[in-house]
Amino acid sequence: MTTTAPDITKATKPAKAKRGGGVMGSTGLYIATGVAALLFLIPFYLIVRNALMTDPEITGETWKWFPTSIQWGNITEPFDDVTVDFAQSLWNSVVVAVLHTAGILLICSMAGYGLARIPYKHANKVFYAVLVTLMVPTAVTFVPSFVLVSSLGWVDSYRGLIIPGLFSGFTCFLFRQYFLGFPKELEEAARVDGLGYWGAYWRIVVPNSLNFFAAIATITFINGWNAFLWPLVIGQDPSAWTVQVALSSYMTNQTVNYHLIFMATAISILPLIFVFLFLQRWLVQGIAQTGIKG
Amino acid sequence: MSASSNMNWDRRNVLRAAMGLAAAGGLAACGSNTGRGSGGSGDGLVQYFHAYGEAGVEQAVKRYAKDYKDADVTTQWITGNNYEQKLFAALLTKNAPDVFEFHPQIQLVKSGQVADLTDIIEPVKDDFNQADIKSHTVDGKIYGVRMIDDPQFLFYRPSLFKKAGVEVPTTLEELIEAADKLTTSKVKGIFLGNDLTSIDRPLIWSAGADTLTADNKPAFNTDAVAEGLKQLRGLFTSGNLLLDAPADSWDPSAFIQGLTAIQWCGMWAMPAMQKALGDDIGIFPFPKVGSAGRQSVYNGGWSMFVNAKSKNVEAAKEYVKWLWIDQKKYQEDFATSYGFHIPPRTSLAQSASKLKSGLPAEGVKLFNEFGHFDNIGWTQAMIAAFWDVIANTIRKDGDPKAQLDACEKKVNAELKKLFG
Amino acid sequence: MSTTTTRGVAQPAPAKVSRPRPRRGLRASSTFNFWLFTGPFLIGLVIFVFVPIGWSIWLSFFEARFTVTPSEFVGFDNYKQILTDTNFRNSLVTFTVFAAFIVPATWALSLGLALLVNRLRFMRAFFRSVFFLPTAVSYVAAALIWKMSIFNGVRFGLANTVLGWFGVDNIAWLANPDPPWYWLVIVTVRLWLQSGFYMILFIAALQNIPRELYEAASIDGAKPGWQTFRHITLPQLRATSTAVILLLLVAAYQAFDEFFNLLGKATWGQPPLVELYKMALGQNQNYGAGSAGAVVLTLLICVVTLLQGKIMGFGRGEESK
Repeated sequence: MTTTAPDITKATKPAKAKRGGGVMGSTGLYIATGVAALLFLIPFYLIVRNALMTDPEITGETWKWFPTSIQWGNITEPFDDVTVDFAQSLWNSVVVAVLHTAGILLICSMAGYGLARIPYKHANKVFYAVLVTLMVPTAVTFVPSFVLVSSLGWVDSYRGLIIPGLFSGFTCFLFRQYFLGFPKELEEAARVDGLGYWGAYWRIVVPNSLNFFAAIATITFINGWNAFLWPLVIGQDPSAWTVQVALSSYMTNQTVNYHLIFMATAISILPLIFVFLFLQRWLVQGIAQTGIKG
Repeated sequence: MSASSNMNWDRRNVLRAAMGLAAAGGLAACGSNTGRGSGGSGDGLVQYFHAYGEAGVEQAVKRYAKDYKDADVTTQWITGNNYEQKLFAALLTKNAPDVFEFHPQIQLVKSGQVADLTDIIEPVKDDFNQADIKSHTVDGKIYGVRMIDDPQFLFYRPSLFKKAGVEVPTTLEELIEAADKLTTSKVKGIFLGNDLTSIDRPLIWSAGADTLTADNKPAFNTDAVAEGLKQLRGLFTSGNLLLDAPADSWDPSAFIQGLTAIQWCGMWAMPAMQKALGDDIGIFPFPKVGSAGRQSVYNGGWSMFVNAKSKNVEAAKEYVKWLWIDQKKYQEDFATSYGFHIPPRTSLAQSASKLKSGLPAEGVKLFNEFGHFDNIGWTQAMIAAFWDVIANTIRKDGDPKAQLDACEKKVNAELKKLFG
Repeated sequence: MSTTTTRGVAQPAPAKVSRPRPRRGLRASSTFNFWLFTGPFLIGLVIFVFVPIGWSIWLSFFEARFTVTPSEFVGFDNYKQILTDTNFRNSLVTFTVFAAFIVPATWALSLGLALLVNRLRFMRAFFRSVFFLPTAVSYVAAALIWKMSIFNGVRFGLANTVLGWFGVDNIAWLANPDPPWYWLVIVTVRLWLQSGFYMILFIAALQNIPRELYEAASIDGAKPGWQTFRHITLPQLRATSTAVILLLLVAAYQAFDEFFNLLGKATWGQPPLVELYKMALGQNQNYGAGSAGAVVLTLLICVVTLLQGKIMGFGRGEESK
């Protein structure tokens, strides 16, 4: 995200509750946290271990914690596979996840702001209509949605992969909750200066909410990247596959190719880890402001 | 349109972007259509294949399609567990395939989904395995062209049998006993698939029963089937059955990796097994269940269907005729060059050189001697109902008779919907 | 949920305001602005969400096998079928059992992790990242790791390898429902995937607790540890806890992927969405009955949400906006 406004909220982070006893207490604390962290890292370790081993080693009679010799050559293997265009699927996922995120931020934030802050006599009814959509499981409207999107001719296209997912009632709801708590004084000052809702929104509200936008962006990006069932049916041609669909295709090859599957998995997770490591400090601050709280 | 132009909070850009998106065509300008155009129309044909696990099949299918001059054929290669869901979702839309592979099931005919192919098959009908013709015929019309027959049976390692002093079993009791003798701390006796559903029909046939009678009444609810389920429950709890293998029984991985001494699998896996284990492979049919039973082999396979709701039914039929009736060279290549399958054309089955000796020849022998084919009236819903019986009686300790009764009720309801 | 706190949001001070241009007329009308802001979203919502929902409701009154454009109206027959279907009723039981496991477990684990991380002085960001990292993994990938590498039933599965050191035989985690080890597999995969996210919510909430409360408590003689946690931290987290529990319940009710990928052709452990999937998409392609089930489920979740809202005070003040 290109931040055009200085992040003014950073300085106002509330005091951390630092307390608790001396050296013993903190040693225990670090041991407990360390053990928990190790458990959380096991699956990642397994991905990397399997990705860099040979298959006979993975399926061998005795468990090996580390590859006898690291198979660096495995890294390029997903890209050499003739049956799956892995590089193309990665690129598709990047395009889809980025545009999905950008679109959701734009559309849902505006709607959330409108619902939260612009007085309109039927606003409540509109809001309830949005709330209802949260209750309907998407898996259930799946087939009608697919038939609809396909009748628009959007199968095998970025349009079909992205646009139907942009209208997230949940994200709109989160934005509304957040904007309800946005300080009124700020906006009112802007309005006194003659800015309409539109101007106030883009010049005051958005620049002062970048933390929250970053938080939503992180979550939305992850969801966009990890989506499976929809891309599976929309991406009929392999050139329109996302990386999750490509990944699932490895599992059906006869004589399972373990190191290939796990290497592809590792590569599919990597971009997200970068995105998230980069954005996570905004995530915490952003969520602190969401009003996810009664 | 890059993301950053969208995320740049410049008012004018934002406005433009908002309008673009609101018109829901905003992405049309930037998100290029990545695949074919609106499929299913024009001169192009679209064919759906499930992903064959053996290397090279996808390329082969595309090669055949490319060689067809009268239409531009696009192949959708759909990976494993997702084939049905993708096919059926697509069949509801105008992006539906013109030609697709599936198994003969009568609901496809009843719902008007598949076209009558009698006219293209009739001239060569006598050259087909007659069982394959029968399993695709409803009221005298033939609805699909069989591409390959896939006999499924039990594979075993003769060397391990010898070491444990085990003979090839012919009854279920002997099989269970053999599994017990073959099990060691590292190798399990037998693998029948993780959920055991792949032996559903063999179990019925080996017990001397059948899925449906000739006039479409349930025929699987017999004491022998119930007894077989009970015996398999014993095997399940004995610790001699391989469970939760990373790959299921259609894949030879468990057998090749030495996780099991016996595995239920199909003839398609022979090349992969031979490559890994050489000559140390034998096969035998699913053993006899109860005193009145007879050993059985499941002759599965795949067939080509033409989507009756396609705009190009005639062109699609032409293509199916060209490839699966006329091009014997490709049919043989498809059946024997990758995994091993038996061509349903008698002339081809007799001439295919790779099936003439060794293990494949034995497979053909079992196919002819013990094989049972699909019954077109035994639909997916009934198959699923019987799978529930397997789950409830073998993996769970349910009463076989009660479960079979419940299954029969479901099957009857389904039959009523189909045949009135 | 709307009694949103303004604490933590930017303080009014140095906001960026540049070159105001006075405008009047239509652009000042709040009705116009309301539609300007919400319009794009609502149009899309109608097309891509409400039309499919309406379509599903319509389908639920028709005999719709192998078609989504049926012609045979059957009234409430589909509803009758679904409500008398034992599988569907069992799926509601499965959901209840699953929710009873996963909701408290995730709540406790994510709160525990948040408390741990929040007390760290060094490497806080590192540990926070470690716990949040699984959020980045898809269900497709997680199911793959769990099924192939941790809980497979053979000698090269991690769980069985570790048990093997203690002389325990290989366990069939998923194939054998007795004892129901499959719950362990399913609950751990979901815990791993989602705890980090809720931990972040709790960390954010913990940071919003005014420090003065702890200072006042310690002056009053409260011991740090359990007492302050019980009397200050927990009550202060009440709002977040409520929200987290609601989100977890909704997520549990939407559970599909791990059950579908891990359990295969079983008759147990089938939550509602898997059951509906089998009915509509999987084998039967009965879109009428599937849609009827969907409508029933949606009504059910609406009622439960409203009840929970009444009991736990979630959504209080919604009207007084």
